[in-house]
Amino acid sequence: MSTEAIAAAKPKRNYNALFGLTLLALLVLLWVILSVATPSFASANNISNLLRQGSMIAILAVGQTFVIITGGIDLSVGAVVGFATVIVAMLINAGVPIFLAILITLLVGVAIGLFHGFGIVKMGLPPFIITLATLTSLRGIGLLMTNGNSISINNDAFQLFSRSSFLGVPNLFWMVILVGIPAYVFLHHSRWGRYLFSVGSNAEASRLSGVNVQRTIYMAYTLSGLCAAFVGVLLASRIGIGNPTQAEGWELQAIASSVIGGTSLFGAVGSVHGPLLGAFILATINNGANLLNVNAFWQRIITGVLIIVIVYFDGLRRRGK
Amino acid sequence: MTSTAQELHPAPTLEPGRTILELKGLEKQYPGTHALKRINLAFKASEIHAIVGENGAGKSTLIKLLTGVMPRTSGDVIWEGKPAALATPHEAMALGINAVHQEVVLCRHLTVAANMFLGEEDSRFGILQQRAMVREAQKIIDDLGFDLPAHVVLGDLTIGQQQLIAAARATVRGTKFLIFDEPTAYLTRKEADQLFTLIRRLKGEGVTIIYISHRMEEVFELADRVSVLRDGTLVGTRNIAETNDAELVKMMINRSIEQVYHKEHFTPGATLLEARNLSGKGFENVSMTVRAGEIVGLYGLIGAGRSEFVTTLYGRHRKSAGQILWEGKEVQVNSEHDAIRLGMALAPESRRDQGLCLNLPVGLNLNLPIYKRISNNLLISSAQEKAEADRQIANLRIKTPTRNALASSLSGGNQQKIVIGKWLAHGAKLFIFDEPTVGVDVGTKAEIYRLFSALLSNGAGIILISSYLPEVYELADTLHVFRRGKLVATHGFHTADHEEILTQALAEKQEKPGGQI
Repeated sequence: MSTEAIAAAKPKRNYNALFGLTLLALLVLLWVILSVATPSFASANNISNLLRQGSMIAILAVGQTFVIITGGIDLSVGAVVGFATVIVAMLINAGVPIFLAILITLLVGVAIGLFHGFGIVKMGLPPFIITLATLTSLRGIGLLMTNGNSISINNDAFQLFSRSSFLGVPNLFWMVILVGIPAYVFLHHSRWGRYLFSVGSNAEASRLSGVNVQRTIYMAYTLSGLCAAFVGVLLASRIGIGNPTQAEGWELQAIASSVIGGTSLFGAVGSVHGPLLGAFILATINNGANLLNVNAFWQRIITGVLIIVIVYFDGLRRRGK
Repeated sequence: MTSTAQELHPAPTLEPGRTILELKGLEKQYPGTHALKRINLAFKASEIHAIVGENGAGKSTLIKLLTGVMPRTSGDVIWEGKPAALATPHEAMALGINAVHQEVVLCRHLTVAANMFLGEEDSRFGILQQRAMVREAQKIIDDLGFDLPAHVVLGDLTIGQQQLIAAARATVRGTKFLIFDEPTAYLTRKEADQLFTLIRRLKGEGVTIIYISHRMEEVFELADRVSVLRDGTLVGTRNIAETNDAELVKMMINRSIEQVYHKEHFTPGATLLEARNLSGKGFENVSMTVRAGEIVGLYGLIGAGRSEFVTTLYGRHRKSAGQILWEGKEVQVNSEHDAIRLGMALAPESRRDQGLCLNLPVGLNLNLPIYKRISNNLLISSAQEKAEADRQIANLRIKTPTRNALASSLSGGNQQKIVIGKWLAHGAKLFIFDEPTVGVDVGTKAEIYRLFSALLSNGAGIILISSYLPEVYELADTLHVFRRGKLVATHGFHTADHEEILTQALAEKQEKPGGQI
């Protein structure tokens, strides 16, 4: 309890928007450079490809961001994606109507999220631990269910969806918009969004102010599970198989996108546009590196360096330099 | 006392009365704020020099400059006749400048002994001499007259006891210049007395003490001289014998002391809340009523069960026996949510831990309890959100550039206004204030007390918890005294004197040294 203000109170107005614009500028800059540097980057084909690549991580990153804002982390999302491909593939092959198969898969994602909430709220486990546990067990359950084999999906309509475009834009990217707009409204214009921030900032103060902290935690993990299951459906549609080992390491890409997008791992700082931009920046770097024939190993290093640089400069600015 | 003590505190080289540290035109500017303006001040060796001032007057900044936590903007610091840069905490410590902060900055998971020697452990061939360190630490603690074990984990001690350890730690480091920043905010009277004994003893050994406090009676009890800061300017320095309360308060705030405790009496209305033989963790068999238009004061030492009692009323903890009646009907309060729905509001004890979301905007903090009301089923009305926040900021005169500034950027007093202010728009009937003025300056205190009157005149009831007797004494219509989890006495407004109430609150404590663990 310092007896006086440490520093001048500076208005932080539009900070989020400003940071978002900076990220957008970075993304556009990358695109301009790559268009000049490689003949194939600006082709319609490649852009569609890029949007498809980035879309799934982008949706994962949005769910992940909700969790991180509460001060938690969801390591299970990659495993949930893989598990969801298995569920949706099995259901479709069993003759369940596509619509129903998708709905059930999404509900499985919700159930996994609720389980995370239960582990954190009722069992008192740290988020890192409970989601790490589901990460490994879900992969195991999926392997048991499939005997370690891939399940080919016998339904062309289902697979056609993720390969098609609407108004010239890949359907997968439309899905980002479908998730992104409600997510934005939820986070920035509903009271539940405010509660995510307040719980991440100070759970005890929120509780004493009448915020239902437990329900808020449940909500964050449920939404993350839901986003992951949705991505699982999209992935199954894209590759045409159900395989529990798919999406290995996607949780880390989702976390990286979120962090590049300005989310603070300490909680209470984050947005929806940030992780979306973060995901597409990562996708662009991978895509560009491929086109420039940069060794795939280097791509990982570049991603790591980028995380350090962006988070470092973001931290500098937040500290008010 | 013993010879070890003398060895532990190397005798300062200066005789008493000579200047040890001099500030010449010291300035500190933050972006947008001029925190200290041309401070000229000389500290003498072996004096206790109190510094008082409102929140935001520049006291914390001064400490930060002296301990090397932050660089000064301009001006000179002369240490023992030579200019000192004080660019790093390390440099300040090497000179012999140390500080004991209001909130203990030690490692809660390590033992008392490990904390005392943190950074200068005794080791032989790289192996820690743990037993020797515990023995040594125990000797120091015993020698200082603190009845505390050196081998226990620091976090197991009360905050007050941790503070004593922090003070003891500072004394073993060849300190010549020791700064105490509001050390007694969380101490019981007994712990405070032990601390004062330590401070006087250090003075006797030639150490210069800077004592920062909001509590005037402590300043008069301890200090030789007192300096007053206001708005970053040094208003003046007085010998303690040549000044008084009234003069200092006037220097601090330009206002007289009678105006601080603002009290209006209202005719009590209907009973809002009744506790019947309520028991829970930390208190037992407490009965009381709160009526509309009255302030019910709960006085006692920290740990006497007052906070536990109100948090149980508020649904934070489960009651183990007894009944809670709200407006005459028995109710089950199983969560904070239930309590809030009934019409209770709680401004908790610790702003930092329980009251505020520090890294979120002021506006969000103010609106947190009422988001349900200012949103439809789906969306928040952003016009209403802005209007409510701005209204509270204006009404309470919260000093913030905009509602979007982070709560952490405000001064303590203004933060406290947020903690209280967020309930005003909520329309509660019973307000529970737990230590509402800890670490708050006199000016803000007066504003908070006037706010109480406004609430009462609107038909609300107030439970006021305070460890500061003058506060509950001057404000409470009914005063309950707690001791060791029990309600031991009840008084009307001014029907008992300070001494009687103090005795009731302390009674067992004095017979039993070392209690309160």
